[in-house]
Amino acid sequence: MIVLNDIHKHYGRVRANDGISLTLEPGRIYALVGENGAGKSTLMRVLAGHTRPTSGTLEIGGETISHLTPTLAREKGVGMLYQDPLDFPAMPVWENFQLGAPKRSKQEVVDVIGELSYRLDACFLPDEPVSSLTVGERQLLELLRLLDLGATTLILDEPTTGITPEQKQDLFDLLMKLAREEGHTIILVTHKLSEAFEMADSIFIMRQGALVATLEPPYDEKELVHLMFGDAADGEVEALPELPPKDVTPRLTMRDTLFAGPKYSMGDLNFTARPGECIGLAGLDGSGQELFLRGLCGLDRMPGGGFDLDSATYRSNDFATLRKAGVQFVPADRLQMALFPALNLMEHITLAFPDKKGDLTDFYQSQCVDGFNLRAHPDTQANELSGGNQQRLLLSLIPNDTKLLLMEHPTRGLDAGSARQVWNHLKSRCAKGSTLIFFSPDLDEVLEHSHRVIVFYDRAIAAVVEGDDISMEVVGALMAGKSMEDIKENNS
Amino acid sequence: MNRDSLLAQIGWVCAALGLALFLTILVAWPAGAPPFETIYVLFKGGVSSMSKIGRVLAGWVPLTLCAVGLLVPFTARLWNIGVEGQVIMGAIFCTAALRPYDEGGALQIALAIGAAMLGGALWALLAGCLRVFGRVHEIFSGLGLNFVALGVTLWLIFGPWKRPGVASMSGTQPLDMSLWLPRLGKLSVSWVGLALAIAATIFVYILLYRTKWGLKMRAVGENPKAATLFSLGPRRRLLQAFMICGALAGLAGATQVLGVYHRLLPAISSNYGYTALLVGMMASFRLPLVPFICLFFASLNVGSIQLPLQLGLDSSLSGVIQGVMVLSLFIVQGLRLWLRQRKEAD
Repeated sequence: MIVLNDIHKHYGRVRANDGISLTLEPGRIYALVGENGAGKSTLMRVLAGHTRPTSGTLEIGGETISHLTPTLAREKGVGMLYQDPLDFPAMPVWENFQLGAPKRSKQEVVDVIGELSYRLDACFLPDEPVSSLTVGERQLLELLRLLDLGATTLILDEPTTGITPEQKQDLFDLLMKLAREEGHTIILVTHKLSEAFEMADSIFIMRQGALVATLEPPYDEKELVHLMFGDAADGEVEALPELPPKDVTPRLTMRDTLFAGPKYSMGDLNFTARPGECIGLAGLDGSGQELFLRGLCGLDRMPGGGFDLDSATYRSNDFATLRKAGVQFVPADRLQMALFPALNLMEHITLAFPDKKGDLTDFYQSQCVDGFNLRAHPDTQANELSGGNQQRLLLSLIPNDTKLLLMEHPTRGLDAGSARQVWNHLKSRCAKGSTLIFFSPDLDEVLEHSHRVIVFYDRAIAAVVEGDDISMEVVGALMAGKSMEDIKENNS
Repeated sequence: MNRDSLLAQIGWVCAALGLALFLTILVAWPAGAPPFETIYVLFKGGVSSMSKIGRVLAGWVPLTLCAVGLLVPFTARLWNIGVEGQVIMGAIFCTAALRPYDEGGALQIALAIGAAMLGGALWALLAGCLRVFGRVHEIFSGLGLNFVALGVTLWLIFGPWKRPGVASMSGTQPLDMSLWLPRLGKLSVSWVGLALAIAATIFVYILLYRTKWGLKMRAVGENPKAATLFSLGPRRRLLQAFMICGALAGLAGATQVLGVYHRLLPAISSNYGYTALLVGMMASFRLPLVPFICLFFASLNVGSIQLPLQLGLDSSLSGVIQGVMVLSLFIVQGLRLWLRQRKEAD
């Protein structure tokens, strides 16, 4: 049994954890929910020994301690599975598995992997490099490694991001087995309520660094949502805008287009999009959706084929030319890819609108403050903004007459209120005739906000899904490599 | 960004100077040098007479030109260590432009200065192209090109441009008096050189902080990937940054040829390029500090000449002291950052 007692963790004035007490019992599955920045990860890092709490105590197996170190946490059987698996892609499976474990020969390691895999219905080739595994398989390997190190308390941080619904089901079955049959404690950190409902014996809800409630089944979704988001949950997401008639000139027509990125290429792309359409891209990491967006805006090469943009034909995809023609690309990693950390807001505006001359104060006012509710002084540096304000800034830097808007994970790292604002804004752009093509690792988001969904599998377009077919079952199966015919057959 | 009070800042600078003093003593003692006397001679040597002040200013001109030039590539986060070679190349081009003339005037001098700036800029462009198109880091290409430039100088002095009859390390045939930069009164510094250095400082300040060009350059330095997304043409801008620095370094080379040595020497750069890198680091690349630190370093250089005369020590000790100063400043800055982080963590 693990008891956390009045855990505080302060970073400067920020109280990431503000007096949290909770008890974890063996054989149970817990869900820790809360929006981004609620303090979930900090609390779990305290438990895994990566962060030293400002004050408070931990009680593990009857012993009271002020803080854990990673080594001590391992001795006590606490193991954490991070959102991005912490492995070494270039090294083979067995070497990754052996990391941190006591000295063993290769044969012994291979035997242990075999035994564990058999017990848990997994399958690994010990000499295969980890880079050739899918995210789901890498997670599983990491899980096996933790179990081998003697972990009895497993923390899983957003484990379902970037894996298929099928892999998710396997993972959940495994976790259920570990808890029920072997008496492990499982903590599932997530922002998806459906997962919490499905799995958890009790749900901890965190908001603004505090534990606001512990719920037991039966769960009331409305109550949970309100506890999690507070009043911000009360807004509504606008519906998808109406599409223009089918006979309108298409915004984008791709004809046998070939894109070539640094790692792979993808050919024979044929696709047509109308003005005002919201098109979601679904696919596992590296299935082709990234290259699709980067190729369309000209960041990756287009060695063959071409595309029409509002009946102007482009045989080459020069970034600057396409940008002038109204194609805008917004990457997911805002500070790393799209903003200048130490430049201020006004300087960003100056750089983004080179045609505006003279004093930009009024323009800033109308573009950022009135249009996006970006309440920050123009002298504020980009790295001082919150994630939500960074996204607002980025969106306000996109000209209003953009024709084709290409976005990677539009709501990455945003809280529920900001995410809703972003989507309402994007939809209003579509209603005015912009075409949006976006990707999100969160499949729910893709399904919710798309007129049509392009599913990528194995670096090619697997299918374009529309209407009632836009569902978790169909898109999930396509992502995992099933063909549309098989899915239709199964359903009928 | 700096929210500390002025008093605290001065305190930290004093701490750095104290540490530098301590380290210098530590270095000087085993070398058999009386530490305090050494320091006294060094500092007094640069300011004891008008002619020495003139010599200090003569060193200040090329040092400042190089140091403010380095600010431009540094704004784009480039370490143009090739500045040394660019000074030498400027001197070579300057000498080459004057070879047809036995005597001349302002026109020929202007031509030589222009040629020197072109030479420095082209040499820098070479490092730039290697960086932008060949993905060779500018520190490696710059260092390599420095040796190439030195090699070219030696070849010219002992080969095609050797003095009639004798080829020696003392350099090429001296220039005619009419091609020298006019001096400031009786001081060994030229008023043209001083004016050029001051003009260059103002030019770089306006360019970096008062124009859109400078803003874009800062943006490229901040985040090249985002600069691509904003269509700022990061490659072109990196090349421009290299060329501006190269041109100013070439100008420094020209002042060495026209104002100080009046010929091409193997040691024509006097290591001002490398010293300018130290100046830049010590100033944390803040332009307003650069001229003052240059003055300080130039005075140390002149003072060091007194060391062998008065104390029988090697003049390279001044180089050690310059290095120690930069190092202590870094140590103190690191200490300060560490203390602040620990305070925030608590």
